[in-house]
Amino acid sequence: MPAEPAIADGVRREPRVLAIDAGGTMTDTFIVDRDGSFVVGKAQSTPADEAVGFMASATDALAQWQLDPAQAFPRLVAGIYSGTAMLNRLLERKGRRIGLIVTGGMEDMLRLERGIQTYLGYPYSDRLHVATHHHNEPLVPRERVYGVRERIDLFGTPAVPLYEEEARSALQALVAAGVEGVVVCFLFSYRNPVHEQRVRELAREHHPELAIFLSSELYPMRRDLPRLNSTLIEAYAAEPSREQLQRVRAATREAGAGFDLRIMAAHGGSISIDARELGRTLISGPIGGVVGALHLAESLYADRAERNIVCSDIGGTSFDVSLITDGELTIRQTPDIARFVLNLPLVQVDSIGAGTGSFVRINPSSGRPELGPDSAGAAIGVCWPDGGLETPTITDLNLVLGRINPDYFLGGEIRLDAERARAAVAEQIARPLGMVVEEAAAGIIELFDETLRYEAVAQVLGKGYSPVDYTLLCYGGGGPLHVAGYTEGVGYREVLVPAWAAGFSAFGCACGDFAYRGDLTVDMPILPAADAQAKAGVGAFISAGWRTLRERLAAELAKSGFAEDAITYRHFARMQYLGQLNDLEIASAHGELVDGEQVDELIASFEQAYAKLYARSSRSPELGYLVTNVIVTAAVPVEKPALPAESRQASGVAATPKATRPVWWRGGWSETAIFEQSQLCAGSAISGPAIIESPADTFALAPGRRAQLDERRIWHLEEL
Amino acid sequence: MSARGAIGWEGQSLLAMLERSEQLLAATGRYQGLEELTLKRSDPIRYEKLFSRLRGGLVSARETALNISASPIVKEIGELCFALYTPEGDSVALSTGIIVHVHTMSDAIKYMIRQRYEENPGIAPGDIFTNNDAMIGDVHNADVQTFVPIFWESELVGWAAGVTHEIDIGAKTPGSVPIGPISRFEDGIDLPARKIGSHDELWRDHVLAGLRGTRTPMYWTLDEKTRLAGAHMIRDAVERVIAQEGVDVYKRFIREVIEDGRRSFQARLREMTVPGRYRAPAFSEVPFAKEAQLPSYARRDTLMHAPLELRITREGMLELDYDGASAWGHHSCNCTPSAMQGAIWVQLTQLLICNDKVNDGAYLALRSNFPPGTWSNHSNPQCSTGIAWSFLIPSFTGFVKSISRALQARGFVEEVLAPYGLTANAFQGGGIDQYGRQSATTNFGLSCVGGGAKMILDGLDYAAAMWNPEGDMGDMEMWEMIEPFLYLSQRVKPNTAGPGRHRGGSGYECLRLAWSTPFYEMQNIGNGYCFIQAGLWGGYPAATGYRHNIRGSDFLDLIQARAPYPQSEPDPGASELAAGIAGRHDFDIEATTLPEVMAHGDLYLSIYRGGAGLGDPLERPYESVMADIAGGFLLERYADSIYGVVPGDPQATERRRGELREHRRAKAVPVREWMKSERERILELDMIEPVQRMYAESMRLSERFARELRAFWELPEEFEFPVATPEVELSKAMLAGNAAEGTREASP
Repeated sequence: MPAEPAIADGVRREPRVLAIDAGGTMTDTFIVDRDGSFVVGKAQSTPADEAVGFMASATDALAQWQLDPAQAFPRLVAGIYSGTAMLNRLLERKGRRIGLIVTGGMEDMLRLERGIQTYLGYPYSDRLHVATHHHNEPLVPRERVYGVRERIDLFGTPAVPLYEEEARSALQALVAAGVEGVVVCFLFSYRNPVHEQRVRELAREHHPELAIFLSSELYPMRRDLPRLNSTLIEAYAAEPSREQLQRVRAATREAGAGFDLRIMAAHGGSISIDARELGRTLISGPIGGVVGALHLAESLYADRAERNIVCSDIGGTSFDVSLITDGELTIRQTPDIARFVLNLPLVQVDSIGAGTGSFVRINPSSGRPELGPDSAGAAIGVCWPDGGLETPTITDLNLVLGRINPDYFLGGEIRLDAERARAAVAEQIARPLGMVVEEAAAGIIELFDETLRYEAVAQVLGKGYSPVDYTLLCYGGGGPLHVAGYTEGVGYREVLVPAWAAGFSAFGCACGDFAYRGDLTVDMPILPAADAQAKAGVGAFISAGWRTLRERLAAELAKSGFAEDAITYRHFARMQYLGQLNDLEIASAHGELVDGEQVDELIASFEQAYAKLYARSSRSPELGYLVTNVIVTAAVPVEKPALPAESRQASGVAATPKATRPVWWRGGWSETAIFEQSQLCAGSAISGPAIIESPADTFALAPGRRAQLDERRIWHLEEL
Repeated sequence: MSARGAIGWEGQSLLAMLERSEQLLAATGRYQGLEELTLKRSDPIRYEKLFSRLRGGLVSARETALNISASPIVKEIGELCFALYTPEGDSVALSTGIIVHVHTMSDAIKYMIRQRYEENPGIAPGDIFTNNDAMIGDVHNADVQTFVPIFWESELVGWAAGVTHEIDIGAKTPGSVPIGPISRFEDGIDLPARKIGSHDELWRDHVLAGLRGTRTPMYWTLDEKTRLAGAHMIRDAVERVIAQEGVDVYKRFIREVIEDGRRSFQARLREMTVPGRYRAPAFSEVPFAKEAQLPSYARRDTLMHAPLELRITREGMLELDYDGASAWGHHSCNCTPSAMQGAIWVQLTQLLICNDKVNDGAYLALRSNFPPGTWSNHSNPQCSTGIAWSFLIPSFTGFVKSISRALQARGFVEEVLAPYGLTANAFQGGGIDQYGRQSATTNFGLSCVGGGAKMILDGLDYAAAMWNPEGDMGDMEMWEMIEPFLYLSQRVKPNTAGPGRHRGGSGYECLRLAWSTPFYEMQNIGNGYCFIQAGLWGGYPAATGYRHNIRGSDFLDLIQARAPYPQSEPDPGASELAAGIAGRHDFDIEATTLPEVMAHGDLYLSIYRGGAGLGDPLERPYESVMADIAGGFLLERYADSIYGVVPGDPQATERRRGELREHRRAKAVPVREWMKSERERILELDMIEPVQRMYAESMRLSERFARELRAFWELPEEFEFPVATPEVELSKAMLAGNAAEGTREASP
C-alpha cells in the first residue's frame, strides 16, 4: 500500500475512513481511500484543544492527495479516534476534582491500594527488589474520601443499613469542598446496588447539579479496588476527555463530515464519544494492531473455520504479543494499566521490555549479557549522537551488522553514526564477552530474537495449542527487522508481514467494529446435583442478565441513531468450577436460555475450553459451576478500510535491487541485495539474504528465508 | 543396586554422584571442581540461550499451571514456585514465585538420594515424589512439594519440582500456619519424601488420602494437580533443549551455570559490601502460660533468642552463625536448617541479587551454622514446625540489619533497609462458613506489612512481606467469598511504624464481623510482649501488636438503632471499641493465642505490623512529623514524647528538642557504670523466668556463648541461671545418641 506519486490525486481519490492517533507529542492521521491506499499526516498535538492538532494533522495528510478537509470530509464514512490524552491525564494526575464516598471503614482504600499497586508495571528484577517499590499518589486525596456506614454481604443482603445522615453530611462536605463530581463505591454493590442508588437519590434531593458516579452502574463487577479505580477513572479522567472529543467532533462537522466520531475501546470495539462508560477507551492505541489483525483474518481467511493469529508487535520499548483464537480476541477481565488494577475488560496484550531501543549490557559481576528491561525511548541508541546515550541498544547492534541503513533511518530524516555505535558495542559488549564485534552483536541479536520467539510460543502453548495452528502476524516499526529471527524453526502455519508494518496499528484502529460491551457480575452457581429444572432456573437468571445488558447497550447505540433491528448481539458467560477462581469467557449460541438443555450446552462449551487451556486431568465437573459474569456485545455494521488489491502479473517475480551492501549474517559478511519496498509489485519473490527498505521500517531476510508479496501487499515469509 | 542398574551418569549411582560433587566442592571450593567455564567462555551466546530457554520453560510452566489451582493463596497471591535441579539436587534455574523453596526442595532431593531411593522405592521415568517434611527439606507442612525425575535415555539428567503453600494442612488447628500443634504428630498431613505415582499418574491411594487429610480437600487436590502439571511441563522443556543441543552440552551447562552463579554471587558481595563481622540479635515470644488446655510442659511463656552473627569474608563468602540461639520448644514455632536457608534465599533475592539468573551457585557461597538443639535447628523428630515462620521472620531481622550495615559501609545508601515488619497478625481459622460448609482460611492481608525505613526515605507502607516482596492484600470482596467475616474497616493503623529520622513503613488494621457462621475458631499470631528488633542507627523498633476481640457483642443491636458504631481502633489507649461496644472483650497484649470460637455478631480486630525506623527521631523534620499526624500514621500525643514536636509551632519544637537532648545528656551515664548496675541485676536474677530460661538455654547449648556472656558481664566462672531447661537436656541426650549411632544428618 505505497504512498504513490502524487498525480492530480484529488480528483480520483475517494477517501472513506479516517483514523486519528493523538499521542502525547504528535497527532497522526491515517486516511484510507476506496482502493485501500492511504496517507499519513502528522502535526504537533495540542492538549489544550485537541481539535486544533487533529485538523492540522488531517490537513497534512490530505495535502498528499491534493485535497483539503472541506473537500474530503464530506466523503468520509467513518472516523475513529485513539489517543493517550486520557492516560496522560491520569499519569500526570491532572484530572477533575473528585470526591469519593465508600463503605464506612474503607476510607483508606486508595492509600492502601491493596499493596499490589506498589510494584505494578515493574520488570521482574524490580519486583524482587523491594527497596524500589512505592505507593502512587491517589486520584482523590484522603481528605475528600468519606466513609458512610453500610454493608451489603456477598449474597446481596443488607447487613448494615445505610446510615443516611452520614451520606447527607458527606455529600454536603464534598460540595463545600468544591468537587466536580462524586464517586460512590460500596462493597458488594454489584450484587445489590440499593445503598449506592440511595446515595444518588439523596444527592439529587439536596444537590441536583452534582454529578454522581455509581460503581454498581458503571462497572458492576466483583472486586472492590478494581471497581473503585475504574469508576474513579471514569469521573476523574474520562469526563474531561469527553469535552475534548466533542471539540474534535465539532471540528469534523464544521468541515462537513457526516460520520459519527468513534473511539477505540479497550475491548477491541469502537464506541461513540457519547458512551456512558468512556473510561473503557483509556487504552486504545496498543490494541489497534490486534483489531487490524482480526480484520485481516476476516478478509484473508474468510473461507477458513479456525482463525488463529499470533499478533506480534515490536516497537522501541517492548515486544507485545496478543492471540486471536478461533476468531476471538483474548480478553483480560481485570487488567492493570498505569499502576491501577481495573475492572475493565481489555484485549490481552502481553508485553516484555524487549524492543529495538532496549539497552544491552554485560553484567559486571557475572559477565553475562542482559537485555533491557529499560530502553532508550526516543533517543534510539548510541548511534544518534543528539540523543546523548552511552549504552548501546538493539538498534546499535543492527547498525553494526549493516542490517539498518544509517542514511535511510526514517527515510533519511535522522542520520545515524555507525562508527559511534560500533565503538560502543566493541567496548561495552564484545570486549567483556571476548568476542569479535560482529559476532557479539549478531549473538546478542540472536538472543534477543530467541527471547521474542519464546515469548510468542509460550503464549500459544499456554492456550493449549501448538504454533502450527496459528498464523503469526508481524508489525510495528521493529517487527520486520526481527521477524525472520523470532519465527525461525517454529513452524507457524504462516508468517505474514504487511508492507505497511510500521503503520499497521494505526490501520488497525480504523478497523474497529462499532461495538459496545457490557459486563455484569451475577455469581450464579450451578450445583453438581442440579437437575433440568434447576438448570432452567439458572438459564432464566442468565437470560435476565443478558436482557439488562442488551437494553443498556441498545440505549447507547440509540444515541448514535441506530435502531434495535440494526444491532447484532453476541452473548457470553464467564464460568468457572465452583470454588475455583479463574473463569473463562464462553460464547453462547443463544441469547435466551429457555431450558436446561441450553444450559448444558453452555457447560459443555466451558468444559471443552477448560480442557483445552489447562491439563485435561484438572477438569473438575464434580465441583459444579459458577457463572461469574454475563456479557453482551452489541455491534452495528460500519465500513472498514479496504485492503489493497493490486493485480498480480505472476508469482515468484524476480525483483530488481536498488543497491547492494555488506550485511553480517550468521557466520560472516555477505554482499546483500537491498530493495525498496515501494518499488516491489505483487507477486515479487525475494530470497535471503536480502534487505527490503522503506522510510518507516527495514525488513531483514536472513539466508534460508524467502518472502513473497501478495496482492494485498502482505509478505508471506517462508523457510527454504 | 537394583536390577535396572544405576541411573546416574556413566553408570554411577546417584549417591556416588552426590558424594563426588560434595568432595569436589570441599576440595576445590568450586562446584564440581570446575576451573574453567569452557562452554560459557567459548560460546557465551549459546550459553545464555540455554539459560533463557530453561528459565523460560520454568516461568511458563508456572504461569500455565497457576490456572489449575483454586486456592486463593496460590492463584491470587502466587504462592507457587518451580525449579529445575541437577541429578544431585542442586538448583539450575527457578521460576518466579515463593523463592524460599528453591533450596528446601534441593534438600529434599538430596535426602532421597542419601536414603538410596534409587534402590528402593526406585526412581524411574514417569515416577512422582512428594515431600512436606521440614526436617528433610521444607519450612513447614503447609508447603507441599512435588518432584518428577527427568531422564534422557537411561540416565537421570535432573529433577523438575514445584511447591505450593496450602491454605489448610489438616493440622490440630485450622489454617496453613497452625498455632495449635505442640508436637510433630499434630502438624497435619505428613509426607516425608514419598513416592506417590508412576507412569506420570498419581497413585489413587495417595490422592484419596489427601482428600481425607485436610479441611479444604478441593484446594489440596487441585494444588497437587497444579504442581504435577507444572513439573511435567518443565520436563518437556528440558527434553526439548536436550533434543536440540545434545545431552553432553546440557550436562556441561547445568554444572557451569551453578559454578557461574557461585562466582557472580561472590563478585556481587565483594562489590556491594564491606567485609567484617556484623551482629544483630532478635527476640520473639510464645506466651502459652495462659493456655489452660495445653499439657503442663507446654503451658508456659517462652522467649526466643536469635543472636545472629553475619560474617562477610574478603573472598566474598557469606557466613551466618546462630550459635547461642535458645532451645526449641513444645510449640509450633520451631525451625529447621532447610527453612533457615530458605529465608536466606528470599532475603538475598530482595537485597543483593534481584535478578532472574539466581540459582544454587549463590548457596554454595554461603556457610551457615544452625546449631542442633536450638530453635534454628530443633533436630528433634517429634518437634512441631507448623509456624516455623514465627522464629524465622524475627530471627532474620538481624540479617537485613547486618547486610544493610555492610551496604552502607560500602556507600550503597539507597539499598539500606531497617528491619522489616513482622508479618502478623495471621487472620486464620476454620469452622462452618457462610455456605454451611466446613472450611478453613488463612487471609493473606498479612503479606502487606510495613517495610523497614530506608536511609534516604521512609519505609514502604503496608505493601510487602519479608517472604514475598510482591505483597497483595487481595480484594475484600474476594476474601468475603471464602471467610464468614465481613470487613467493617481496613484502615491505616497509627503508631505501628517504628519512629526514626526516617520512620518505618506503617501497618494497618482490619475489623471483621463474624457473619452467618454458627462457629468459627480464630487464632491470633504475632508479638505482643516484645519487639522483634530495634531499628538502625537510633531508629526505634516497630510497635508490638495486641489482641482486641469481642464476643457476644451488641453490634447487631447498635446497627438496628443506627448508632454510630466504632469502626476501628486508632488509639488503643483511648479505645473506641472498648467504649462503644458491649460484650466480652479480650483486650490485652496476648497477641498469640490458641483458637477461640467466634460466631455471628462477634468482632475480631486484625492488626498488621509496621517496620522499624532509622536514625534519631529528634532529627525527623518537623513537617514530616506533622504529615504523619495528618495522615493518621502518628497519634498526636506521641509527637512530643517521641519526636519532640510541638504541633503547630516549629520554633517551640526546636526548643523542645533542645530540652530533650539536654534531658538525654542528664540521664546518660558512662557505659562502664551502666554495665556495673546491669551486672548487679544479672547476679540478683532481677528478670522474669522466661528471660532467665532463654539465656540459660543459650548458655547450655553453646559453651562459646556462655563464655562470652560471662566475660562480657564479668560474671563468675560458675555463673548459671538457676532454671530448668528440659529441652536442652533432651536435645543433648538425643544428639549424643545420634552421634553414637552414626545417623547424624549430613549438612553441607
